[in-house]
Amino acid sequence: MKRRVLAAMSGGVDSSVAAALLAEKGDEVVGVTMKLLARGETGFGCCGSAADIDDAKRVCERLGISHYVSDMADVFESKVIRPYVESYLGGTTPNPCVECNRSLKFGHLLALAEAWGCETVATGHYARVEKGRLLKALDPAKDQSYFLYSLNARALSKAEFPVGALSKEAVRDKARRLGLRTADKVESMETCFVPGRDVRRFIEKSAGAGARGLAPGPIRDRTGIELGRHTGLASYTVGQRSGLGLSGGEPRFVVSLDPDENAVIVGGSEDVWSSSIIVGALTWTGPAGAARAEVRIRHRHEPAAAALEKLHDETVTVVFDEPQRAPAPGQAAVFYSWEVVLGGGTILRGENL
Amino acid sequence: MTVYLDHNATTPVRPEVFDAVLPWLREGFGNPNSVYASGQRARAAVERAREQVAALLGAGDASEIVFTSCGSESDVLAVSGAAWQSHDESNGRRRAIVTSAIEHEAVRLLCGQLRRRGLAVVEAPCDPEGATRVDACSALLNDEVALVSVMHANNETGVLQPVAEIAAAARGAGALVHTDAVQSLGKIPIDAKALGVDLISLSGHKVNAPKGVGALWIRRGVRLAPLITGHQEKNRRGGTENVAAIVGFGLACELARKELETAAAHALALRRRIEGGVLLIPGSRLNGHPERRLPNTAHFSFDGLDGHNLVVALDLEGLCVSSGPACSSGASSPSHVLTAMGVAPALASGSLRVSVGWGNTDADVDRLLGVLAGAVEKLRVAAVGS
Repeated sequence: MKRRVLAAMSGGVDSSVAAALLAEKGDEVVGVTMKLLARGETGFGCCGSAADIDDAKRVCERLGISHYVSDMADVFESKVIRPYVESYLGGTTPNPCVECNRSLKFGHLLALAEAWGCETVATGHYARVEKGRLLKALDPAKDQSYFLYSLNARALSKAEFPVGALSKEAVRDKARRLGLRTADKVESMETCFVPGRDVRRFIEKSAGAGARGLAPGPIRDRTGIELGRHTGLASYTVGQRSGLGLSGGEPRFVVSLDPDENAVIVGGSEDVWSSSIIVGALTWTGPAGAARAEVRIRHRHEPAAAALEKLHDETVTVVFDEPQRAPAPGQAAVFYSWEVVLGGGTILRGENL
Repeated sequence: MTVYLDHNATTPVRPEVFDAVLPWLREGFGNPNSVYASGQRARAAVERAREQVAALLGAGDASEIVFTSCGSESDVLAVSGAAWQSHDESNGRRRAIVTSAIEHEAVRLLCGQLRRRGLAVVEAPCDPEGATRVDACSALLNDEVALVSVMHANNETGVLQPVAEIAAAARGAGALVHTDAVQSLGKIPIDAKALGVDLISLSGHKVNAPKGVGALWIRRGVRLAPLITGHQEKNRRGGTENVAAIVGFGLACELARKELETAAAHALALRRRIEGGVLLIPGSRLNGHPERRLPNTAHFSFDGLDGHNLVVALDLEGLCVSSGPACSSGASSPSHVLTAMGVAPALASGSLRVSVGWGNTDADVDRLLGVLAGAVEKLRVAAVGS
């Protein structure tokens, strides 16, 4: 009996090859592209723009598998876009990919897959699942396990990442050999639903120019002295250097954002290092709790050894062996034991003890 | 084996039709407008087909049939051609189109375009059972109306429209009347004269002929501004005739005419079985008038699921049905037809259209009923669980 699997296809090369590998294995592959933006909006490389849907469709034709479009614009709006905007307005730096993986690909799409009789959901992520555990990709330069930490054991039991053991070059080679039109497609590196990388404009459009987080306010040093004015908290991220509009002296960096005072706090380069962080909204891929882990605080950050001290059920203090630069509230902190993802959560704040 | 239950989207080409078409793609390739013998043979074939199509409308005069490329082209030729002709002949006084709220996109989108180009377009509402309201339509009529366009039977719900009553009122106001009968052709009797309309759109691929051919019945004496200029079709539609497809369309119409009663009875029997089975599923309902519908069409709504997802689920089990018109597959916005009927958006997006036709059997119905309840249940679980 053929295994039926759902391949989530963004129209990019990675998910194209993921679907191709499953089809080659003899699975009955059901290609699905999620339409994430409402009609009329043109996503810049966002899943479900007309051009991407067309690419995915053509790849499926080439592979001889069926393809469907699933309209998830409403869910994407409520689960990903709105929290993303809220996060910026509240002075934190969101990670929408984490939520999209949890709520869309391994939430709504997985539920649909089960209703359609599909045993798994496969995506083009560079990560691996072995014996129910989430592992880093074999190619460390492409590893995307950071964005998948919030999958629980049930989701992981239904997840497949067929390209997780390949390099990007191998994936492109495979696509070329199969004659897939996505073989040399440019990779989207930015937040998929924000046109032209212009986060500020996107926030203004979504929340209205008068929203909190977009209002000008003071730039202060750590002692409270006002050094200048900022253009709204939504334009700043902890650790950022440029864009402060301050002249003269030592380079200044954003140390923190204070939504209560609508203030941007800046300091010298030494001030953005944190010896520990508070991490909330914890999830675990397997058994909860671990005393030590290597902790990654942003995509491509080299995981840093740390002790995890439980504050309560959903919150831990992560005490790094060595201080880490610029953990940004709102970003994910992901706990690894070598190549295994243990779990993770959302950075609430950094501390320098 | 795939079970095809979407005959309102398109139909299989019948083997007899296929066989009749082929010679005109091979040795019979002549241009029907040519002088020599092969051209004359092609001309004769086209004219015979014209008679066959006319006969299905009970129209004695075959010259009232103009062949087009598809039903949509027939709609555009009729609506746009008649509206502008009437507008021009009245020196611009007649500048309004009255139409229904449930027309096929071919008419609907065209009306939007004509509105942007300066004509007035008004829509008559329909009742909750999907029939256009004659009183509301009549109230919109005056001496500025150039054309009234109301479809013969709705493509989504199958609900029959009161075209004869509307036409009588419209002619009283001096307006031309068009009806899109693409969906009813071959399924119920159409008597062009008795309907009292001026223009009737038809399509080949809905009656087991190939795609790429349609027709417009134009009452003798009615003049239209042509869409494609040229001398073919008595100056009414330019372009070399699609001889093979036209031959197929003609034969398909002849077969449909001969089998109309038995085919309708067969379709109705299957439809009743489908309705009986589907409506046993909790949270299901039938949309449209319970009786005044095409014999082959049943349109349902289910609580708590998206019709598009149900169509995918059934496709994965080898069953072809649709949730909306084929033209809008992929989008989950509720259909304008159901919206016009007052169906709540949540129910409208959970819709399923089953349309039977030539070749369907009781076993096909069994297949559908065998998997539908389970698919509905699973999708409801998915919708709640995620």
